[in-house]
Amino acid sequence: MPVLVQLNCDIRIIKFIYLMLKRPLTSAARGTAMSVYFLKESDLTFFLGRLLASSPVIAPVAKKSKFVFAELGSAAELRLDYDVTLLPPKTAFFPVKQKLLDFGPDGPKSAITPRKQVLFGVHFYDIKGIDMLDQLFAEGHRDNNYLANREATTVVGSSIQKVSSRAFFSTVGTDVQPRGHDAFLTHVTAGYVFETRTPKGEALISFGSFEKATAAQIEEAAGVNAAVLKRCPEKLEHSSELIAVKVRNAFANEELWTDLAKDCFSCGSCNIVCPTCYCFDVQDRWNLDQVSGTRHRTWDACLTNDFSKVSLGAGGSENFRERRGQRFRHRMMRKAAYLNEKLGGPACVGCGRCSAGCVPDIADPVRIINRIVGGRHGSSV
Amino acid sequence: MSTSIEKAKASKVKVAFFDFSSCEGCQIELTNLGEEVFTGLLQHLEFVEFREVMTETAKGPIDIAFIEGAFTREADRKRLEDIRARSKTVISFGACASTGGITALKNHMSDYSQCVYGVNSGAPHLASQKSEPISAAIKVDYAIHGCPMDKDEFVYIVSHLLHGKEPVIPNHPVCVECKMRETVCRYSYGHHCMGLVARAGCGAPCPADGIPCEACRGFIEHPNEESLTKVMNERGRMTSERAKNKSRMFTATLRGDAK
Repeated sequence: MPVLVQLNCDIRIIKFIYLMLKRPLTSAARGTAMSVYFLKESDLTFFLGRLLASSPVIAPVAKKSKFVFAELGSAAELRLDYDVTLLPPKTAFFPVKQKLLDFGPDGPKSAITPRKQVLFGVHFYDIKGIDMLDQLFAEGHRDNNYLANREATTVVGSSIQKVSSRAFFSTVGTDVQPRGHDAFLTHVTAGYVFETRTPKGEALISFGSFEKATAAQIEEAAGVNAAVLKRCPEKLEHSSELIAVKVRNAFANEELWTDLAKDCFSCGSCNIVCPTCYCFDVQDRWNLDQVSGTRHRTWDACLTNDFSKVSLGAGGSENFRERRGQRFRHRMMRKAAYLNEKLGGPACVGCGRCSAGCVPDIADPVRIINRIVGGRHGSSV
Repeated sequence: MSTSIEKAKASKVKVAFFDFSSCEGCQIELTNLGEEVFTGLLQHLEFVEFREVMTETAKGPIDIAFIEGAFTREADRKRLEDIRARSKTVISFGACASTGGITALKNHMSDYSQCVYGVNSGAPHLASQKSEPISAAIKVDYAIHGCPMDKDEFVYIVSHLLHGKEPVIPNHPVCVECKMRETVCRYSYGHHCMGLVARAGCGAPCPADGIPCEACRGFIEHPNEESLTKVMNERGRMTSERAKNKSRMFTATLRGDAK
C-alpha cells in the first residue's frame, strides 16, 4: 500500500513538473498578448475593406446551407456567425492540390510561391489544428511547400458565435491551448475585442479605427470565450491520457473494430474534412510535349483502400490494412493515441466535422471513444 | 522529304479505336480535346484506325488499342480476339467497355428486346446476350472509366504509357472529391447519392451541380453495398426495395447479385 501511494505521488510530481515545463514553453510560443483593442461593430466593414485593399483575406463565407473558408470579394461576404466550415482553414497554406514543382530538360523548378495573406475568423479549435500541422510539417525534413505559405499568412482568430451540432471542442485535449494565431477577435455587445499576440497581428491595427479596450470589455470577451465552452452538444467524459491508454489497449479487439466499421464505406470523408490530417499523395503529369511536366501533391485519406497498398514490383502489391476495421482503427489510433506524446495532446480538436460528414454516421470520435472507455453514451467494451 | 516523314511516323506509337455496343460518345468526347491537345498528341501518336475521324482501317500491329462499348454479342468475340492478338496494349475506353455500362441494364430483364424493338425484336441482327465488359472476352490492360470517358484522364494515361510508366487509376470514392471541393453532401438534403461507392477521378462535377452521383465510373474495389442500401433507405428516404435497386445504370455487372 505505501508503495502504491509513493508511486502515485511520483506520478503526480512528474506530471506537475511536466506541466510546469510545458507552460512557459507554450506561453512563449503563443506570445503574450501584445495589446488589447476594441473595434466598434460598425467599424468592422471599414477595417476589412482596407485590409482587403492591401492583401487577400481568406475568411468564412456562406456556401448554400453551410460555410467555407474562401477569399473574400468584399467585406459584406464575411460570416463570423458561422458554426463550422466544410473544410478546415488549413487549405489557406496546404491546399487540397498543390503544385510542388515543374520539371523539364533543365531539371526541376520549385513551385513555392508564397503570397502575403490574412486568414481571418478562425475558431480556436481550428487554430489548434493549424498548430499541430505547423509542428508536424516543421519536424525532421522541413516541408517548405507548407511552411512558406504558412509564414506568409497572418492568422486572426474569432470567438465562436454559433456552435455546430456535432462539436465537442470543450472536452478534447483541454491541456492544449491554441497558439499559432497573430490576433484574436471576440464578439462582444457593442463590437469586437481585438487582442494582438504577435507583431504581425499588431501590424493589422493600422488598417482600422481601433481604440484601447477597457477592462470591462476585456472581461466581457473572456466571459464570451469561456461561456461557449459550455455549449458543446457532445462531450468526452475522460482525460486525454486515459483515452489514449484505453484506445491503445483496444487495439487487438478485432471484434470491436469490425463492428464499428460495419457500415463504413472507406470513403475517406472523415480524413478529408479533418483539421489535423496531413497525409498526401504525390503524382507527376507530363505536359503534351512529353519532356516537361508538373509534380503535384493531393490530400490522401487512410480510410481508403489504396492508401496502405504498397508495390511489390512486377505488378504485385501488398495492402497492410486490407480490412475496413483495420483502417477504421488506424484513424482512431492516430487521432487519440499515436501522436499524443509528440503533440502534447490528442490529434483531434473537437470540431465535429468527421461526425457531420459521415453519411452512415459512424465516425463520431465521441461515440467511439465513449464506447471504448465507457461513459454515459456507451458501454465499456 | 518523304523518308523523314516515314521515319517520324515509324517512331510514333500506333493507336487504334474500335467500337462495340455503345453510343460512340466516348470517341466523340475525344474529339472535344481541342486542336491544341489533339495536335500535341499527334506529335507522339499515329492514329491508324478511328472511324469517327478517318476512313482508313488498320490491318497490321497496333501499339495501343482503345476499345469502346460492351461485349454483348458472342459473335463479337472473334473480332475482339483479333484486336487483342494485334495489340501490345488494350485499353477499355469508357463505361460500357469497362463495366458493361448502360447496356448492362438489360441483364436483369428478360423482355428487353421486345421493349426496345417491338415487332422487330426477332430480327437476327438485333440479337444480343448478357452485356459484359470487354474484359469478359479478352485481357484488358487498363480502363479509362466514365460516361463519357474523361478526356483529361485519357491524355494522362496515354502520356504515362508513352513513358513506360504505370498510370494511377483512382480507386477511392467520389466522396473524397466532393469533400475536397466543399460540395454540400446530397445526403444533408435528404437526397441519395452513389458517391459513397463510386470510383472517383471525375472531380465530382455532378453533386456540385446538385445531381446525385450515378457511379458512371463503376464501383471502387470492395464497395459496401449493404451499407449503401441502408443509407439510401435511412437517409435517402427510399423504400428498402428501391434502395437496393436504385442506380444500377452503371454498376449492373458489379453488384454482388449480378446475373
